Amino acid sequence: MAGFDRKMLNFLLKNVHQVNTITTFDYYSAHDEETFQLILDTAENLAAKHLSPAFVNSDRNEPQLLNDEVKVHPALKPYIQSIAESGLIAATLPFEEDGQQLPKTIYAAAHYILTASHNSFVMFSDLAHGCLEMISTFGTADLKKIYLPKISTCEWLGTMCLTEPQAGSSLSDVQTMAYLQPDGTYKLLGQKVFISAGDHDLTGNIVHLVLARIEGAPAGTKGISLFVVPKYKVDYQTGDLLLENGEKVSNDVKSIAIFHKMGQKATPAMHLGFGGNNDCEGILLGQENKGLAHMFQMMNGARLGVGMTGISIASAAMQLSQQYARERVQGRLPVGSRFPVQIQEHPDVKRMLFAQKAIVNGGLSLLLQCYKYLDLLKVSETEQDIFKYDCLTELLTPVAKTFGAEMGILSTNLGLQIHGGYGYTMDFELEQLARDVRITSIYEGTTGIHSLALVGREILKSDGISLKFWQTEVENTVEEARKLEQTQKAAEQLQSALELFNFTTNKMKEMSEEGKTMEYLADANLYMELFGILNIAWQWLLIGVAATAENGDGKDKLKTLYFYYQYELGKIDYLSRQIINTEKLTLPEI
Amino acid sequence: MKILVCISSVPDTTSKISFTDSETVFNKAGLQFIIGPYDDYALARAVELKEQSGGTVTVLNVGTVETEPQIRKALAIGADDAIRVDAEPTDSYFVAEQIANIAKEGNYDLIMMGRETTDYNSGVVHGIVGEMLGIPSFSPVMELNIDGNQAKMTREIEGGKEKLEASLPLVLGCQEPIAEWKIPNMRGIMTARTKPLNVVAPSGDSLTSISAYSMPPAKGACKMIPAEDAGSLINLLRTEAKVL
Repeated sequence: MAGFDRKMLNFLLKNVHQVNTITTFDYYSAHDEETFQLILDTAENLAAKHLSPAFVNSDRNEPQLLNDEVKVHPALKPYIQSIAESGLIAATLPFEEDGQQLPKTIYAAAHYILTASHNSFVMFSDLAHGCLEMISTFGTADLKKIYLPKISTCEWLGTMCLTEPQAGSSLSDVQTMAYLQPDGTYKLLGQKVFISAGDHDLTGNIVHLVLARIEGAPAGTKGISLFVVPKYKVDYQTGDLLLENGEKVSNDVKSIAIFHKMGQKATPAMHLGFGGNNDCEGILLGQENKGLAHMFQMMNGARLGVGMTGISIASAAMQLSQQYARERVQGRLPVGSRFPVQIQEHPDVKRMLFAQKAIVNGGLSLLLQCYKYLDLLKVSETEQDIFKYDCLTELLTPVAKTFGAEMGILSTNLGLQIHGGYGYTMDFELEQLARDVRITSIYEGTTGIHSLALVGREILKSDGISLKFWQTEVENTVEEARKLEQTQKAAEQLQSALELFNFTTNKMKEMSEEGKTMEYLADANLYMELFGILNIAWQWLLIGVAATAENGDGKDKLKTLYFYYQYELGKIDYLSRQIINTEKLTLPEI
Repeated sequence: MKILVCISSVPDTTSKISFTDSETVFNKAGLQFIIGPYDDYALARAVELKEQSGGTVTVLNVGTVETEPQIRKALAIGADDAIRVDAEPTDSYFVAEQIANIAKEGNYDLIMMGRETTDYNSGVVHGIVGEMLGIPSFSPVMELNIDGNQAKMTREIEGGKEKLEASLPLVLGCQEPIAEWKIPNMRGIMTARTKPLNVVAPSGDSLTSISAYSMPPAKGACKMIPAEDAGSLINLLRTEAKVL
């Protein structure tokens, strides 16, 4: 069965976020509702043909590191070939770079369909997409000429290499070195770990984007640069692989080890060595010492992508749980049933099914909202608009990533719970989904790191200007919702929640102003949780407003809105109390 | 070679079907429509033949404006242009008549379609079109190659397969594995917007109308009988199931 809900996706795109309005901008004007639907059809077809059928088998047959090269699951190659032929990987690039100027919102919607069908295979194509965007943005004309056509056709695939054994969350400690050569290239020396899709036998070359420190660069994050490092040497005159005696020439990138992971087993996570034989050549991408800032462009996309992965996996779990709860007959209701009933009739199971729906569709809506802001940022012309959409995406990216990950994990576990003992066995996919989703709160920045970024940067930034932009957006929704009978009560609840949020934020600012930095940052995670709940409440109010115009399914959406406000929104009272409490038990004892 | 591919727009095969207006109107609300799966095979093979030997592929649909997304998809897959006969496809004879009229004007070498649609499943349109045009028709064709003016085909028959050859022009009802369904790519999707889609008025009137639809009878509720109460079971088999 499909792990996604196309009907709900269409509703969110069309009725809630009015994504068609993006096509009124010149840059996106080659598209319309029909092209969007055809692209989503293509994603659906790819998922049905290549992804769903291989989901379980590729988990049971992990990639192997044999003779210094990784062998991946055989079903990956036809998927990569098909997605290359589909043109989806380069679809968001401009026409002049052989892209189709597709709005990121639609690319993200396609990503949801693909990831809900096989979250592990999709990492290969998604990393290639990220590399394309990086080289398109920061590459010189020569680099673009060589790498864009190769990656967009999946002749070569890509990775991003940030983490080192001693530098995970703390990238300022990166030690990989880059030494300038007389010809303007660099020689790299160092090691990277947890490199997803870091080696495989799928393509003729692998393009690593590597963070390294140029000899003599300043310490910390201000001395990190970004390099394009192919697995095999490239002839920069012809743009093809360098050949010696008809053989590819190694660029001294060695697969040292493969990590054996808990989930996402079809994607090899590699320990890579660069320059062990002093022969690893890299080309600087973008400006010297700006590597981290450049990488964060890819990381922001990747972070939203990880949020989407969490939601997509939870979506697959939700679809399976709904089906199971309809089919599984077990237990009698305390009142009014002599015979066993479908488990979906039991209030506790119903609560879990509701919670899954609220998390998955609310989280998906927030992610689409972020992508829409990115699309609007791309076509904004006035400084005001550019500033506004930049602030909104910076503010919401860590929240969308964290909610998708943390609540995706929770929601998937609810699915496992609905399946009872069977959910804990390998006979049902829930067990695999629960393993796969667990990584999402760890990679592309842990929940802790994102929470610190939210509290440390966004709350204090320019007198909280990002929050002000956000609040205006939310209040506009509240105003709309107040006009409708079905959403009036929820509108008032969200308004009160906003007031509590403002109170909490002001108390936080007081801590910061009083110099209580440790107290201010200590419960950043709880502040993130509170802000996440509030954002999903906002999205559900948007969904509720749009649903009032719908017959049939509209009632179900409104019911989920009421559920979220009754069961989840109230949690912010507790969170607020904890956050503003200055007696933090977690502070180091002095 | 000129190929005409006739496609139907049918509800996705997982759709839940219902009727309105005292069971006289098929309720399309909220359903997702797709190219008829068998028509999709015909289209895929037609595009492959064009890629192999040149020529053109024209897509024909008898339907209202609501079917245009499926027509655009066919163009995105590789058809060169499309014709929509602006009418509800009320019955097989009416649809066949529209196809035959378009085919007469276009002088096509091959007229391909699915062996049947997956909504009403009549499976007779290709035969009627062949009869109207006075040319041979074959169905269900599961393999097709063209050599000059000759079509070499494999057809599924009761208990086996039949290999045969015939001269063009032909009408063919197709099924798998004649080709693999094609997935539209980005370039195809974008160019589909600019490919010609001509809308023409129907010729003739439909000769039939629907008096009522009905769903298959609902399954009866399951009655649980305690294992020790065989008497109740026998009683129900006599009085309700009436099998004893």
